[in-house]
Amino acid sequence: MTTTTTEPFELPVELAIDTDVARRVIGEFIRSQLRQAGFERTVIALSGGIDSALVAYLVVEAIGAANLHAVLMPYRSSAPTSRADAETVVASLGCSSEVVEITPMVDGYFGTESATGAAGREGLGASSLRRGNFAARMRMAIAYDRSVTFGGLVVGTGNKTESLIGYTTLFGDSACAFNPIGDLYKSQVRQMAVAVGVPDAIVRKAPSADLWPGQTDEGEGEFSYPVLDRLLFWRIDKRRSVDEMVALGFSAEMVERVDRMVAGAEFKRQVPPIAKLGPRTTGVDYLYPRRRPGSKRG
Amino acid sequence: MADLDGSRILGCVQTVRIALAQMAPRLGGLEENLERHLDLIAGARGQGADLIVFPELGLTGYLLQDLAGEVAMHLDDPRLSRLAQATSDLSAVISFVEESADHRLFISAGLFEDGELRHVHRKLFLPTYGLFDERRFFAAGDALRAVPSRLGAGIGIGVCEDFWHLSVPQLLALDGAQILVNVSSSPGRDLAATNEVGLGTASSWRTLMRTYAQLTTSFVVFCNRVGVEESISFWGGSEVIAPTGEMVFGAPLYDEGLFTVDISLADIRRERIVLPLLRDERPELQIRELGRIVAERADMAPDSTSSPEEAAVSAPPPAPRSLEARRLRVADAGES
Repeated sequence: MTTTTTEPFELPVELAIDTDVARRVIGEFIRSQLRQAGFERTVIALSGGIDSALVAYLVVEAIGAANLHAVLMPYRSSAPTSRADAETVVASLGCSSEVVEITPMVDGYFGTESATGAAGREGLGASSLRRGNFAARMRMAIAYDRSVTFGGLVVGTGNKTESLIGYTTLFGDSACAFNPIGDLYKSQVRQMAVAVGVPDAIVRKAPSADLWPGQTDEGEGEFSYPVLDRLLFWRIDKRRSVDEMVALGFSAEMVERVDRMVAGAEFKRQVPPIAKLGPRTTGVDYLYPRRRPGSKRG
Repeated sequence: MADLDGSRILGCVQTVRIALAQMAPRLGGLEENLERHLDLIAGARGQGADLIVFPELGLTGYLLQDLAGEVAMHLDDPRLSRLAQATSDLSAVISFVEESADHRLFISAGLFEDGELRHVHRKLFLPTYGLFDERRFFAAGDALRAVPSRLGAGIGIGVCEDFWHLSVPQLLALDGAQILVNVSSSPGRDLAATNEVGLGTASSWRTLMRTYAQLTTSFVVFCNRVGVEESISFWGGSEVIAPTGEMVFGAPLYDEGLFTVDISLADIRRERIVLPLLRDERPELQIRELGRIVAERADMAPDSTSSPEEAAVSAPPPAPRSLEARRLRVADAGES
């Protein structure tokens, strides 16, 4: 594994990609998804973190800043630096943007110290996890509303690492029309972010879902992304057995723990099953490409 | 009909101009793709091309799933006739979904020449693993033939996965092909910083193409599509490789375009005389050994390569033929 002081992040050598090829593929992917759907514009939920910043840069590279609308959706406890970083991205890209506070929506449901919310008294004691998931789904709802008002498709910003371990909110941050970076591990997101010129401060800061003050991904999961990415790469992409993983230097306990996380999150990555009753059932024996002649927006 | 023994080109330098239509078909858009093919054929003719090659399923797009039956054509389809008419003075390899009289669907590639559909190759190997699901929607072809061509050299056509099986380029060359044409819809994957082009798929294909060209001492013409369908990006990188294994031309990755390249058929004759690999092939040896292997696999003959334990259970052990079998026996003897 490479660790150098000049790099703003640690990139395991086996995860290094050719960023020029990746940018080319992703650019064509973005343009193609829009063309096939009959759209020219996109909407992005911009958090100030590296994932959504990278996607914003890639979208602008592919279709220009005029076709990207960034929605910043802070909650009252969100870190001020998150919003500042998101605004830096907007300023450097020159895309349109707006701020939609989700505080009234989240507090309106769970309530505050001064007033009970729609969830009733029970909501007052809601856990951070529930609040975080709810906030992610409010952001999804706003992004999809802005999809209509701006006339753009919602671009996904989830990376491969968080999708595999299930560090996402179902129908929340994972909801999108298409995702350009969903096959990139976090380390590769960082490599790409440097390549496309995402501001250094965003690349260097500790990744966080920013669901509560001071939260960091790595603090919460007791892992570091370079180690987790390497583990997932060898275990999943390269199909190594537990014994082979141990020979690569991973502890069997960690491999098995991550295995459980990955298996336990399968439901988040798949379309919900439909009870098979009729002769032809979507996703089972009614199999069409997502876009085909006649499916373009009129 | 051209004669394939090489005498026709003896002592002359015949150049063939090949046009590679590295295009991005519209998925399911048969009519639109047909017009695009006609435009590209006209463009190739304008550039003096003798042969234009289109990618696998260029007329329909690749990830058809249940659309396959909706874009399928019988060989007498008027749309194929239109394409044939456009090839009155050049050759074209064009790929589409073919529906047979008994309603099987094939991934086919036709050689159109002199205004007619001269030959149809039905894809033999349908990948149904990893990201591929072709066997679910298509039938596999059962025949492999090289065909003479107005170009003055035999043509052998394979579709994508066909060239991931050693037998296909070899059989085509033994059957008289001097130009091996592979039409593909190859999805790019395995991005890596550690290889020459940054894409694992492209590296693998490049290795195969050079190897086949060298081992069959034939030109290899590889036309791969570009564009995006669903999650998949097709990577292009179409190539023409000389009988020496050297690259004559390589199209860029991911760019759509009509690329022309000239090849000299004299290179085939020269290489086949200098390096007479095809002359020295032993098809009768292959038939003999393949006959044995097929019989053993069908349990119609003792398996000469099974392990001693299995052999002891199933049948009296045959005389060891392979080095591996001899080695195992020696090891057994030493331990007892």
